[in-house]
Amino acid sequence: MESISPVSNQVTQPTTTTTSTSDRSRRKRRKKSQPSTVDSSSQSSQSTSLEKWRSEKQQQIYSTKLVRALRELRISQQPSSSSSNPRGGGGGRAVREVADRALAVAARGKTLWSRAILSKAVKLKFRKQKRQRVSNPTTTNTRTTLLTTGSIRSKKQRATVLRLKAKGLPAVQRKVKVLSRLVPGCRKQTLPVVLEETTDYIAAMEMQIRAMTAILSAVTSPPPPGHDGGHTHMLG
Amino acid sequence: MSGRRSRSRQSSGTSRISEDQINDLILKLQQLLPELRDSRRSDKVSAARVLQDTCNYIRNLHREVDDLSERLSELLANTDTAQAALIRSLLTQ
Repeated sequence: MESISPVSNQVTQPTTTTTSTSDRSRRKRRKKSQPSTVDSSSQSSQSTSLEKWRSEKQQQIYSTKLVRALRELRISQQPSSSSSNPRGGGGGRAVREVADRALAVAARGKTLWSRAILSKAVKLKFRKQKRQRVSNPTTTNTRTTLLTTGSIRSKKQRATVLRLKAKGLPAVQRKVKVLSRLVPGCRKQTLPVVLEETTDYIAAMEMQIRAMTAILSAVTSPPPPGHDGGHTHMLG
Repeated sequence: MSGRRSRSRQSSGTSRISEDQINDLILKLQQLLPELRDSRRSDKVSAARVLQDTCNYIRNLHREVDDLSERLSELLANTDTAQAALIRSLLTQ
């Protein structure tokens, strides 16, 4: 009797404690999971967006993506480069597009500009087909249509940016409008959105430049000391 | 900060965004710019100046990326050396 009771007590106690701890741990996990996701999302969107683009890991991820994409580009360009024309200028634009697309993919679709870059790549193909069909009758017609759409677009831009009278200064408004045109995908966005996208976009571009410079310096094995110094000045 | 963000999203339809939020964003932008990072005189640097410098900085970054991609495309044109060197760079990274 006496021997059994403490045993039973001992047996029951751990089970109760285990269940209680498991409940507590479950509750803790649930409680932790909710605020942790909230914290991580808020952090990732604000303070750690800069850290994200400045981490070594992110740069390595981007570099490998870029190198892979460049290899595919080279393979697709090889049959044309075998001809006598050296495609210096055209090839540069293709590389730029590839680099931008890789950068947008590295952003994981959380930002406006990355989604805009990715959708641009798809839209360009459709537009090229349309322009080829339209330009066949007359070239002047296409030019006028492009001009009119440009003016309509600028009017719409003014309307959406001017509606925000938080910063009513016309100088600030004008500059934010110019800025919104520079950052992809921000032409019809509100002022705080444009500013946020700009911060992320600048950090991303800095990383892009660092990665591309690293690739270039790794590939051009005998490094002329003058070139690299001149290009790293921008980033301080 | 997360509360402020959610509030701003809800109210952005009615376009009532406080100046404080905008000033915060402009301050954050200012710290990104290499020119204005060192002199953190937030009183003396106007928002217009920060925005102007941001535009210039973004244009400079675009120009650099274009220049780098030109150089990369020249490299890609020289197939044999580029292929070996790319593989080398991947391995060393």
